This record gives sequence, C-alpha cells and structure tokens, in this order.
Amino acid sequence: MTSTEFTPTELPDELLEKYETVIGLEVHCQLLTDSKLFASDTNRFGGEPNTHISPLTLALPGTLPKLNQKAVEYAVRLGLACGCDISRHTIFDRKNYFYPDLPKGYQISQDKAPICVGGGVTVTTKDQENNPVERTIRFHHIHLEEDAGKSVHDGSSSDTQLDYNRAGTPLVEMVSEPDLRSAEETGAFVTEIRRLVRYLDISDGNMEEGSLRCDVNVSVRPFGQEEYGTKVEIKNMNSIRNIMRAVEYERRRQVSALENGDALFQETRMFDAETGETYGMRVKETMNDYRYFPDPDLCPVELTEERVQAIKSQMPALPRELREKFVSQYGIPAYDAELLTDTRDMARYFEELCGLTTHYKTASNWLMGPVRSYLNESGTEIAAFPLTPGTLAELIELIETQVISHSVATQKAFPALLEEPGRSPRELAEASDWLQNRNTNELETLVEEVLQSMPDKVKAYQKGKKGLMGLFVGEVMKKSKGKGDPKMINQLLAQKLN
Amino acid sequence: MPYRLCFCFSEDNFPPELKDYQTLAAIQHDLKTGVSTCVELVRLYLARIEAEQHLNAFVEVYSSDSLQRAEEIDAKLTAGTAGRLAGLVLGIKDVLCYAAHGVQAGSKILDNYKSPFTATAVQRLLDEDAIIIGRQNCDEFAMGSSNESSYFGVVRNAADRARVPGGSSGGSAVAVQAGLCHASLGSDTGGSVRQPAAFCGVVGLKPSYGRVSRWGLIAYASSFDCIGPITKSVEDAALLLEIMAGADEFDSTVSTKQVPAYSKSRTWNESQKVRIGYLRESVESEAVAPAIRQRTLEVIEQLREQGHTVEPVEMPLLKYGLPTYYILTTAEASSNLARFDGVRYGYRSQQASDLESLYKKSRTEGFGEEVRRRILLGTFVLSANYYDAYYTKAQRVRKLIRSETEQLLTRYDFLISPVTPTTAFKLGEKTDDSLQMYLADIFTVGANVAGTPAIAIPNGLDENGLPIGLQVMTQAFEEEKLLSFSQYMSATIATPEKV
Repeated sequence: MTSTEFTPTELPDELLEKYETVIGLEVHCQLLTDSKLFASDTNRFGGEPNTHISPLTLALPGTLPKLNQKAVEYAVRLGLACGCDISRHTIFDRKNYFYPDLPKGYQISQDKAPICVGGGVTVTTKDQENNPVERTIRFHHIHLEEDAGKSVHDGSSSDTQLDYNRAGTPLVEMVSEPDLRSAEETGAFVTEIRRLVRYLDISDGNMEEGSLRCDVNVSVRPFGQEEYGTKVEIKNMNSIRNIMRAVEYERRRQVSALENGDALFQETRMFDAETGETYGMRVKETMNDYRYFPDPDLCPVELTEERVQAIKSQMPALPRELREKFVSQYGIPAYDAELLTDTRDMARYFEELCGLTTHYKTASNWLMGPVRSYLNESGTEIAAFPLTPGTLAELIELIETQVISHSVATQKAFPALLEEPGRSPRELAEASDWLQNRNTNELETLVEEVLQSMPDKVKAYQKGKKGLMGLFVGEVMKKSKGKGDPKMINQLLAQKLN
Repeated sequence: MPYRLCFCFSEDNFPPELKDYQTLAAIQHDLKTGVSTCVELVRLYLARIEAEQHLNAFVEVYSSDSLQRAEEIDAKLTAGTAGRLAGLVLGIKDVLCYAAHGVQAGSKILDNYKSPFTATAVQRLLDEDAIIIGRQNCDEFAMGSSNESSYFGVVRNAADRARVPGGSSGGSAVAVQAGLCHASLGSDTGGSVRQPAAFCGVVGLKPSYGRVSRWGLIAYASSFDCIGPITKSVEDAALLLEIMAGADEFDSTVSTKQVPAYSKSRTWNESQKVRIGYLRESVESEAVAPAIRQRTLEVIEQLREQGHTVEPVEMPLLKYGLPTYYILTTAEASSNLARFDGVRYGYRSQQASDLESLYKKSRTEGFGEEVRRRILLGTFVLSANYYDAYYTKAQRVRKLIRSETEQLLTRYDFLISPVTPTTAFKLGEKTDDSLQMYLADIFTVGANVAGTPAIAIPNGLDENGLPIGLQVMTQAFEEEKLLSFSQYMSATIATPEKV
C-alpha cells in the first residue's frame, strides 16, 4: 500500500476528527485613555505621523515615565468584569529589545506581578444539534503595557519611515489559558472580549484600526492525549474572521503534517488573508532574551481595597447581566435578549425604552425588526438612530391601544417619523388621518358591501375554504383605506359568514 | 575638540582679579553694596575659564548667554525683584538638560544633540536667578572615577595638573576648585559628586535618593542617581539643595516629603553632643593612604575633645557594597542606554548597511570603552541564565546593606569615614586596571546603595598638598541635621591649612 500525502485542504474528515485542537490567545487591547500610559501626549488613532509625540515618547535623554492612573483603573475594571484577582501590589518591568519602533529600547510591561490574575470569560457556541454550549475560557493573567510605534514603508523608496504616534499608547494584554478548542469558539471568545471592552467603555475594540489584535497559539493532539502538541504562534491577527480562518487552516496543516509523518516545530507564522494560509517567517529564529527587570523609574502600584471598591461601584452593567435582566424582568425570549445586548448602545436604548412603555415584547420586536432593518440599510449604529426612545415608546403605545394599526405604524408612521424625527407620533397620525376606524357601524357596512360583491367566494368559504378569510379582510381593509381595525373586521366577518 | 571658546573682551580691557568668594552670601553682599555686578562677575569667571582652559573643565561655555542673563539680573537687583540665587554663577555637569542647549553626557553618541527641555533641578535654580555659565566635562555617561573616559578628553586637577580630578563629575569639581564658576551641579551614582569634591578640596553633597527630581538628568542607574551640588561651602550646598529639592510631577520616584529650609537651620547648637560611628577599616586598612588615615584620626580626636561620642563600627557588608553596586548599576545602565541607537537622534554610523549594523556600528562607534564594558556587564547580569545568580542576589544584598546602614544609624547620629582611600592619583595610573579604579568608590557607594545622604567636606591636604576629604553620612531625609553638623565641623575642626 502506498502512502498518500495529505494536504491541509484535502484532508478526510475522519482523520481530522481524530485530533483535538488546542488554542490559546494573547489579546492586546488599546485603552481609550485621553493620554498615553506614561506620557501626557494625546492618545488617539490617526493624525498626521509624529504629531502625538513628546520628549518622553521619543525617549529623549533625561525623560522619566509617569503612570496614567486612568489606565490602571481601566485594567481593574476589565479584571473585575472577568472575575480576576486584582493584585494589590503590582509592578512594571522593562522588556528589553531593539527595534526602531521601540524608542527606549525597552517596552514597559508587566512580567512577574501583573495587575490581574486568573478570571475568564464565558463563551457560547452551538453544538451539532444547534444547542447552545457554554464554556468558560480562563485567563492566565491580564497585564498593562505600552504599545510601540509603527514602521512605515511607503514603497517609493527603500527607506523605513517611523511614526511614533502610537508609541506609548496603553494596552491591556489578556493572556488566556489554552482552553479554546475550535475556530468557532475562538471567534466567539474574541467577539465576547470585544463586546466586553466596549461595554466597559475602556476601548473601542476596533480591530481594523488595530485597537484590538491577537496572537493565536494553536496546537493539535490526538483525542485522549494529555500532553499538548507542538504549538505554533500566529502573530498580529486583526479580524475575527481571519482568526477563525487561520485557526482552521493551522489545524488542518498540523493534522496533515502529523498524518504524513512530518515533524512540527515551534515557530511564529503569519496568516495570508488572500490565500487563507499561514506561512512560516523565513528568518532564523533566535531565542529572544528580553532581560525583564523591574523598572527603577516607576514605583510599585499599591491598589487599596477602597480604590478597587470605588472602581467596582462605578462599573457599568455587563452584557451577561443585562441578558439575564432582560429575560427575567422584561420577559423577553433569550434569543431577543442576546441580540439586544450585542452592543452596549442597543442594550441602553432598549432599557430606556422599557422605562417608557410596559409593552416590552413589542419594544423588543420593534428594535429587532424595523429599527434594525433601518440601521442595516442606512449603515448607522443605534447611537445615531434619529428617533428617541420617547418617540418610539409613544408609537408603541399608539399600536398597543389600537389607535393606529400595526401595518400603518410600520409602513407609514415609522418612515414618516424618520423623515421628521422631532414630530409626535400621535400628532402625525392625526394629521395624516391614520387613526384606526373602530366604528362598528361603518365597518359593518363595509363588510356587507364586500360580501355582497363576491357571492361565489362566500359560498366557497362556507363550503369549507376557510383560507378565503384573508381575502375578505384585505378587501374590507382596502375599503376602509387601511384604517379599519383588523381585529374588529375579523370579528364582524366571522359573525356574518357563520 | 568640538567647541571653541569665544570671548567678548580683548587684552586691554582685561578685568580685575576675581575674589575668592567662599559663599554666595559674600557675593550678594558685594552686589548689594555696589562693589560688583553680575555682569562683572560673569566676565571675571569667563576670563578665568579662558585662562584655565587646559584644565578642560568645560565642554561648552555659554558666554553671550550668561552675560545677557547677568544684565537682566543686575536690572532685577536694582529693581529689588531678584531671586534668591542672584549673583550665583553656576556650571552644570554635561548630564543635565538645559533647554535649547547641548547635552551629551560626555559621549560621542549624543553628538550635536540639544535638549528641548530643562531639568527640574536646573529650572528651579534658574527660577531663582542662577546664571548658567556652561556645561562641564565628565566621565562618559557618568561612568568613571577619574574623568578620563570623556569623549571630550581628560580633565586635570587644579592642585596638580598631572593628576585626575576624580569622577565622574570631574569638570564640575575642578571648576569650583579653580574658581571657574561659584558652584556646580553634578550627579552622584556611586560617589560621582563626593569623590571629585574630595580630590579637589571642595564640598560635594549627595542628597537622599528621591530628594531631588531626576527629570532632565541623563540616566546612568535610575535607582542610584542623585543630583547634588558642588560648592565652596556647606552653606551654599544647603541653599542649593533647599531650592532644588521636593516633589515634582515629572518624576514618580521623587519624595513628596516637605523640604525643610536647610539654609536657615544651619547653626549647630554646640551644647548638643552626638554619637558618631567611624568605619574601623577606614583608619586601620593598609589600603587607605597614611595621610588620609592620620587626618581622619585627628578629626575623630577633635570630635571627642568637643565632647561627642565617637566609636569604631564594623560594617560586615561593606565589602559587598562595590559588587552590589556594579551589578545593579550596570544592569540598569544596559537598559537606560538602549535608547541611544542612532535611530532618532545623536550619532549614527555612516557605515551601516542594514538595521542590525546600524545598531551595532552606531553604538560601537558612539560609546567609549568603559560605557561598552558596563553595558555588556549589565546585559550579562540580566540575561535569563544569570539573572537570579547576579541581579536577584544583588537586590537582596542591597536590602541587607540598606538595613545594616539603617541599623547603624539608629545607634549613631552620623557615620564618618574618608571619602576615598587615596588622594588624587596620576592621569593614566589606573586606566588599565578597572578593579583598582572601581576601588576609588569603596567608601562612597554605600550611601547610594542605601539611599542615604552623604557629604564630602575638605579635611586638609596630604604630604603632596593634595586635598583630603571627609565623608559624613546620616539617615535618609535627614539632610538638615547632616548639613548643620557638617557646617559646624567645617568651622571648628582644625585642618593643617588653617593651623
């Protein structure tokens, strides 16, 4: 029997399924503080190159770092949200290496005493039967560090240009345990982290701009084997989709290598979004010795119980807490709650809406239906949605008290309000003559007219073709110019026909 | 030499001789009584700098700058709005940043570098109307005990031009010794203010670690570095410290402790008797020059005669002071000096062909031998395989030394010793023997390891007429006590010069 060489893309499922994928992540997240981690320069994405640089950012001789307390607070906020132990005594270390984008020749980071230890986040994925599966992905620790600048190659010359705007930006690095088991789960994990940092208001979580980026460690091992396989690190991933693609490719590459009898070795690889493949960097891998040691320019940070409690007391509600609240307090389905808490702004809007109307399910339906469609079509976020929760609540009240019909509300009132967001829905409905006709006599006359105009259909109905009811309702509705109360029309028709 | 002096007067209007002012108060008296003006003082100092150019004390002289400032301050004096340091002509060691002025830590690697900001300590002196006359030569990156490792060449001791001035603040000490400025600002990481002060017969103060902000001081070893004044008198050292010290939002390691009015509490109550410990080794060891041993013993005797209790003390950990110092300072230096990479400022090798060679060539060509040696040593002690054996252990020893020193200083008000085991040695005498060179700091490193304040005060001359220094040390942040007692000692202890 001749052996077949497997390739990552043509690998039989039964071979793939013999192996378990083990994934651990290092997630770097830029904190949205006004200034940098140790300098007073503005901390913002973009701007002309080298416009947010002070003597400290450029590491001019004689400069000293000064810790930004806001960044400490943000890291503690994140740690509390993830159930970490907050270190009462935390120190900053120097990670020494040379690179042109690293002005001091060392990065101020945390090695031995990171600010948060342990903790984790819960992610939900679907099993093969589409049932939700919840797993908690543990953190090894979360630490604070400063970002580096950027090397820019503009193509017009072989020179490297340097932009130090980003140098010194505060980052939290979340280091997970190797608890993740699939590309899907990894995607869900990063999604959850992104949602979390946005909820906590500590980062914009924007992956395209590099506010959130990951190093992904992947290894495979036969199911049942205790020890981990040889891991590969995929650096600088900046989209959830690519992270998932990279994990899946790497899993297949590693399984096919093992099945082919090839050796795997520990290395750093890059992901090519064009081909969907990972590739090893063709540089000689030397073991980096970062010579960590405590930064003598900075004092240890002592976090008192009072300070931690003060940060805790100002924590915004977390997505998971809100989901539970929406289900238990507002009685909406878990699925709705999941969607409504996807972003903090949507959850806030819903909460505000629920403070103004008691028709929670209708409120939820509106947000997930017409409002979401509008946001999708206009490409805007809920924060920029023109209607205030007050206006939407009034519209919901009009429907629920049957002042206007649901169809008038969605098809006429809602688009009109989007045109004139300041207008009162009731005043608009009155002015536009959209109020529902609930006059029994008038509707009875219309019902009779309709039934008389189509005797054949009436006979057919009475012989059992009950589906014709919709046609009758529609015809009466038409005659009422859309203003008839559908419930009443149904009732009247039923009386006449039976 | 990368600079040339230019002078604003010619032979025929050469100014009169400069008075040997011992204190700023004496200068200010002359200014007040119209005997002199700031402009005249600056002219006299400039003339002396030119006359003593061969001492190589200054790297750059700010002639027109300082004359212009002198004019402004003379006007302020007339208007009665002058600051507390009006009339002080100051030199600053080439490791202190002064906005729009060059600073290069005695190194080629900072060629043509100008600082865009001013060190906090310097700024506070400027705010009180000090006049900065120039920047002073020093060992490269303050690494050295003889001022022979400067890119700008050796500095000569004014007491004997064949001898070193000590280091690393050699230029700063010689400048005060030779009357090229009234006072200097140096930095002391292991004795770099006190040792050259002793070799040059002037006063050198190393304050407690964290007493003076390090913002704007080019770092050698961050957890050791202290800015300190070099003066003719303890009185002036007290005044300068008072103005420089205290909290600074730019330095997280500086103490927020209140700054006492050091200059006002100088008087030591003679009836107050104290307990003084002296290092037994410093007067018994063969390694300490006989003249120094003798002068130290004479001081001990006189203190006893004055009614103080003076006892020999043992410091079993003293011998670990130097190794601890060299492990920790080189470790910190290897990282502190990583920023000098030829990428953003300073010297960049023209021979570089790629990134790696840019680093290697710029740093090899830009740093001198002693700096390279210490960077390599520091890189080694921080490397993963040796970290615990060296760095971690040295940190532990540092703690022990600190607590041993603190213990001693609960039993004694002051610890005294010679500043150095020998007086100024000959140029080139120790350049080939790093170990011998490092021993010059044996009595001074302790204060840096422990973070305590220590002062070097003149203690007579040896048989060759070379100055001898006496070191007085006390508990951290007890500068007030240290300064008033040193002032009292300077005034009451007879030295052969005075006899």
